Amino acid sequence: MTAEELQETIARQFGRSLHIRTLDTGSCAVCEQEIRLLAAPHYDLQRLGFFFTPAPRHADLLLVTGPMIRAFEVAARKTYDAMPGPKIVVATGACALGGVYPADPFTHGTVDAVLPVDVWIPGCPPSPLALLQGLGVAVGRLAGKVRDLPFTVDDDPERTRGDS
Amino acid sequence: MTLWFIRGLRRGVVTTRYPARPDPSARFLPTPPAFRPRALTRETAGRLAATCPSGALRLDDLTLVYDVGRCTACGRCAAEAPAAVQSSGEFELAATVRSELIKRIPLRETS
Repeated sequence: MTAEELQETIARQFGRSLHIRTLDTGSCAVCEQEIRLLAAPHYDLQRLGFFFTPAPRHADLLLVTGPMIRAFEVAARKTYDAMPGPKIVVATGACALGGVYPADPFTHGTVDAVLPVDVWIPGCPPSPLALLQGLGVAVGRLAGKVRDLPFTVDDDPERTRGDS
Repeated sequence: MTLWFIRGLRRGVVTTRYPARPDPSARFLPTPPAFRPRALTRETAGRLAATCPSGALRLDDLTLVYDVGRCTACGRCAAEAPAAVQSSGEFELAATVRSELIKRIPLRETS
């Protein structure tokens, strides 16, 4: 199965109802605060067909936060194995992407050292809207746009920064 | 109950899709930096790479390698060199390939 076919399958199967299990692998809980805000009326995750579920056996998507501490490795693998396929793993926040903790005897430093990650959401913490966009990218409803962002500005450096 | 049902039919669906207009609170959030290559000398880039607490900035030969995934948007680089770094305002940063998050910022040629 090619990547495009898989993408289409995910969009078709998960397009209208996707259940999310969050997994905290040692985060400072600010990512969790932002994830909780997704269910608040302002962002209203449920209107898009995303739902939080307490059990990995009911989950289609694993939303992983934290730097994957080594003490949690077994639990993370068991959680992933308990999920029915097809399944998506989303690494959330700078910790999960390797920005905050190095790999050392206590942490792996990144989530993809243990689990096969499908979507990366940067941010410390990622705002609820960033998470929402990440979930949209995960189910193939939105196209990721970070590839085309250059993170450069090409204006006159002599112009003074009067705005700040 | 009937009244509620008829009112619901008349108003139709009131929920929206993924935000069509920008989140008004998004501009208050810290966002990853954007760099100004014209003002970015090798010396400045070296200073930025040394400042970055999360190792998101690394000085390659003639480019500044910026890993958006590692960035915590702490703003220390912008404080270190305000002329060369500013906030990008971007927050829709999800990627399906990790390497899409690694940006190569060209430096200003010093002759």
